[in-house]
Amino acid sequence: MNHNEYKKWIQLSLYGELSGEENLKLQQHLSGCEDCRKELEEQKNLLSVLTERDKLKVDDKLLSDARAQLRGALKNEREKKYSATRFADILIGFISSPYRAALAGAAILAIGFFFGFLLFNSSAEVKYIATNQNNNEVSFTDSGVIIKNIRFVDSDATDGEIEFTFDAVKTISLKGKVDDPKIQSILTYSMLNDMNPGSRLNSINAMATDKVLQYDTEVTDALVTVLMNDENPGVRREALQVLKKLPFTEKIKRAYLYVITSDSVSGLRIDAINALAEAIKQGSSLSGSEVDLFRNKLQTDNNNYIRFKAKTILQEYN
Amino acid sequence: MKLTDSELVLQAKQGSESAFEELVYRYDRSVLSIALKYVRSEDEAKDIYQEVFIRVYRGLKKFEMRSEFSTWLFRITTNVCLSHKSRSKDNLKVSLNNTVDDENEFELADEKFNANEMIDSVDINDLVNAALETLNPKQRMTFVLKHYEGYKIREIAEMMNCKEGTIKKYLFDAIRNLRKKLKPVYDTVE
Repeated sequence: MNHNEYKKWIQLSLYGELSGEENLKLQQHLSGCEDCRKELEEQKNLLSVLTERDKLKVDDKLLSDARAQLRGALKNEREKKYSATRFADILIGFISSPYRAALAGAAILAIGFFFGFLLFNSSAEVKYIATNQNNNEVSFTDSGVIIKNIRFVDSDATDGEIEFTFDAVKTISLKGKVDDPKIQSILTYSMLNDMNPGSRLNSINAMATDKVLQYDTEVTDALVTVLMNDENPGVRREALQVLKKLPFTEKIKRAYLYVITSDSVSGLRIDAINALAEAIKQGSSLSGSEVDLFRNKLQTDNNNYIRFKAKTILQEYN
Repeated sequence: MKLTDSELVLQAKQGSESAFEELVYRYDRSVLSIALKYVRSEDEAKDIYQEVFIRVYRGLKKFEMRSEFSTWLFRITTNVCLSHKSRSKDNLKVSLNNTVDDENEFELADEKFNANEMIDSVDINDLVNAALETLNPKQRMTFVLKHYEGYKIREIAEMMNCKEGTIKKYLFDAIRNLRKKLKPVYDTVE
């Protein structure tokens, strides 16, 4: 082997990429070669300068900012995906129909009827004429219904009949006990999906009552999701308030830790660290990595209280 | 019990947002770190981070699990880094325009770099940054993954879809170039 080869080996040895045998061979060569020993020293110096002079570190704040940006981008992505899927469904349904022309005509007709209804029926009442399988002549009326997504099952009107499906969305008033699973299920859906932060907040508020003796797992999971992902700090705070009332679980602990390390709102981080401190006081434990996280928080959080609290937790925990 | 990456991937493929989130949290610090060391700018690193995970999100349905999730993720990370065009234009970089290709860009940046002249007026950290920025993208990526992130050459080869020999060459070239540029710096530091 020539010097150039050994010089390459020197680089590889500094990165731990040589086998034991190769290392031994290199050491033997170095013991008798002044030139390569000098080379080794120079390379060590260069690499230490590159390491020591590098101040770029991924701290919690940077990671938290990046995660917040990603959450927003993913939300947009999901919305785009949802719209695209629905559009594709409609398009595929249209294209794959063997009666495209008839379908188009019937669709225009149906839409015309629909707009006619809206235009000439001044009351809020919407009337449907449908074929009843039993007596063939039943009509029914209903109010407060919004029609969406008309899709044709049979668009061929040559026999005088067509068949289509549609989504009839109707406002429903529901009254019941707040711990009723059905009510909780609807409120859960709302807190996760409603576009309006006020509605999400109200849904959580409605559940934040002492009247609720037991929450479904689905509700707990939803509250955790809201606490970690909702874009509105007020909604996140409300979710945290409800979670504090629930029996402490690993999932809730993880959510608190996430807020402590990643939430940009210091008030929420304080609430979360207080809640966690309380849980620890009641006997909950922290893993090694969680203790490390606190140690790190102790040094990096820009909020004095959080640094102090992290220190207290560590002292009490040890 | 902690789920494996494969189990989380399967759940995420079926639409579980929490499984996807768990996968992100397992690896996002590493992704951000690679991006940061590569582009040397927090804002640009965040852009890369976001682009990586959006690509993962979009591509997850087609991910056939022939490789580890982490290998696939870091391959996307290196691809996004390598195709990233820097936003900043400091005095050591050449402005990016349509008439200058990547190779020319790095040659021009290289010509402007003279540590001997700069050492008295510029902070050493900036010199190190500037020297790293004169490496061509593949050399820089290899160096970042090896030196700062501590990956094995075999792993880097998988991430960058190259042979190990090619990665070694990138690493040797990167170190040779850095050494040439930073000699006045580490001579002074000694």
